[in-house]
Amino acid sequence: MRKIATALTRSRVWRSVFRHGFPDSNRNRSLAIFSSFFLHFHPVKVRVRAIAFTRTFYLGGLALACFFILTVTGTFLMFYYHPIVPSAYNDMKDLQFVVSYGMFLRNLHRWTSRTMIALVFVHMAWTFMRGAYRHPREFNWTIGVGLLVITVLLSYTGTLLPWDQLSYWAVAVGTNIVGAIPIIGAKVKLLLLGGHEINDNALLRFYVLHCVVLPLTLAFGVGLHLWRVRKDGGIHLPELPPRRDDVGDENYASTRADAGSPESSDAPHENA
Amino acid sequence: MSEPTPESAPERGEEESLGSVGAARVVVEEHVSDCRTSDFVDEPMLMTFPHLLVRECVAFLGLSIFLVVMSLCFDAPLESIADPTRTPNPAKAPWYFLGMQELLQYYPPIVAGVLFPALLIIALAIIPYFRVNIERPPLWKSAPWTQVASLWGVVAGLSGVFYFTGSVPIWSLMVPLWAVGLAMTAGALPWRRSRLGIWLQTRSLAFWIFAWFLLAATTLTVIGLWFRGPGWRFTLPWYDGFY
Amino acid sequence: MALIDDLDVPMTEAELERRRFLGLLGSGALGLAGIGTMVAGVGYLEPNAPYEQATRFVVGRPEAIVPGGVLTLREQRVYVVRGQAGVYALSSVCTHLGCVTRHGLGQSEIVCPCHGSAFDMEGRVLSGPARKRLPRLELTLERGEIVVHTTSQVDDDTLLEV
Repeated sequence: MRKIATALTRSRVWRSVFRHGFPDSNRNRSLAIFSSFFLHFHPVKVRVRAIAFTRTFYLGGLALACFFILTVTGTFLMFYYHPIVPSAYNDMKDLQFVVSYGMFLRNLHRWTSRTMIALVFVHMAWTFMRGAYRHPREFNWTIGVGLLVITVLLSYTGTLLPWDQLSYWAVAVGTNIVGAIPIIGAKVKLLLLGGHEINDNALLRFYVLHCVVLPLTLAFGVGLHLWRVRKDGGIHLPELPPRRDDVGDENYASTRADAGSPESSDAPHENA
Repeated sequence: MSEPTPESAPERGEEESLGSVGAARVVVEEHVSDCRTSDFVDEPMLMTFPHLLVRECVAFLGLSIFLVVMSLCFDAPLESIADPTRTPNPAKAPWYFLGMQELLQYYPPIVAGVLFPALLIIALAIIPYFRVNIERPPLWKSAPWTQVASLWGVVAGLSGVFYFTGSVPIWSLMVPLWAVGLAMTAGALPWRRSRLGIWLQTRSLAFWIFAWFLLAATTLTVIGLWFRGPGWRFTLPWYDGFY
Repeated sequence: MALIDDLDVPMTEAELERRRFLGLLGSGALGLAGIGTMVAGVGYLEPNAPYEQATRFVVGRPEAIVPGGVLTLREQRVYVVRGQAGVYALSSVCTHLGCVTRHGLGQSEIVCPCHGSAFDMEGRVLSGPARKRLPRLELTLERGEIVVHTTSQVDDDTLLEV
């Protein structure tokens, strides 16, 4: 068994995919994180304090996990759903009574969305309480507020899709609030609903927003958010009492300058 | 498929793929640049693979189990088909909007539905650009009673705003405000040397404003969720059920 | 690997001037393209012919409503009220946030279920978050039958005398 595994991890195919050996040495474990597209937003080593459960309760990560579950369940639901009146509602009934595991998938989608909102909100409150939004993470906090807004909008646009009484009136009240915005309100409402009343057009528009526009925006924003976590120096930890010698600080400054300079000088050239 | 000389070939392969000196040095720099504090030499660390990844997997599994059990036990509600001619009574928004729906009862839509949320989002977005939430010497260090007086002056002013500007007095905003005011004042009282007293004193103004926001949002949502019945009149959850 | 450093290339004042001009031209073109895309995008999303309910419909003969009676047209969201002096029509859409109000048979109050606004039979606000009264809609008499124009509002004392 071990022989096969060794042969496999040394084969050219394996190497073309993973670029490192079996992660049983610290070097290969580092490379497993560092050279993987999916894992490279992690540092290769983490401080013990940083990964303690009670430090973050993994709230942000779990919110991302919810987004992942929602994408999968949502895609499944799309296979049976027509954004037309009255099929939209009938499809809900079909999911409930006709489609295998339909009710389960719809439940999962619904409860995951509610959980995600709660997680994102608590994530924000916890970040605030720990003071993690302060310098140098100001901008990442602002991105986070944007992600909270998009999350709520996702849930809100999803509300209309079942086309039941709750959906209809939640959207009726919501779009009237939009209409109350001075100057641009009426126009925005017209664009949002695709007409003056809530009908097929509005359903289709909310469907496109819910399934394409907002999830893509959120995915992009989450990428930015995670990237900034690393660039702003990892997750926030309260500083330990300073050591007696001040070597560390200079050390930090110099490595920071080393690591920073190629990026800051390269980036404009690449973009230009 | 496998390399002719399995012992040495993989090593070379790695180095070529990542740029000869590259891999190891970049990995170290990467790690160093993550350690912002001066104590990175002393602080205990773990390899991300497998220690953090295992924790993430466990957290994800825990979440999945919770969600699957929820989905098996509780069915997502589905009311009757949308009827533009008949508004259900009461017509409740999804729970995360219930706080706003509560406020819509007191203020015109332009205030409760547009101004409040917009101000809230802008305030949240720009918080970090003000140096307001720094750990600081106790609020009551100098001239405590002047400060207590000005605090309650502000509380009284805000209470007045919530009492008179709404269509009816908005107790659900005033009571959390008083609770926060009391907690702030508690830091100036005789037990201020105790641990709780010191904790209360070192909280910043931004903390208290955020605490009020959290308390008020929770109160409004709970009232909207369980204490509003037909015609949006006050009711008790065991009368009209849970929505 | 030698870097071709454009910041270090010697350049005359005229060349610099040309570079600045071209830079300005480029940014202008980019900005214009952006604005054009936005205008076209909004124009595209704005529906030109939304297929919606008619804004003008026939109710029936005024004699069909007893004096003091209210005819509730749920589909069209209109109350047709016959007072002592004449007939008038009220929109049944709450002026607060657009929920459809309700009127119980024989009651003298119109109530909104969403946020609890209440109106009297003239459309005046009795209580609740709504600030504006229910708008009165234009009525005409065509061949002895009442016609409602839902997009045309009239003064609050206008009556159709019958």
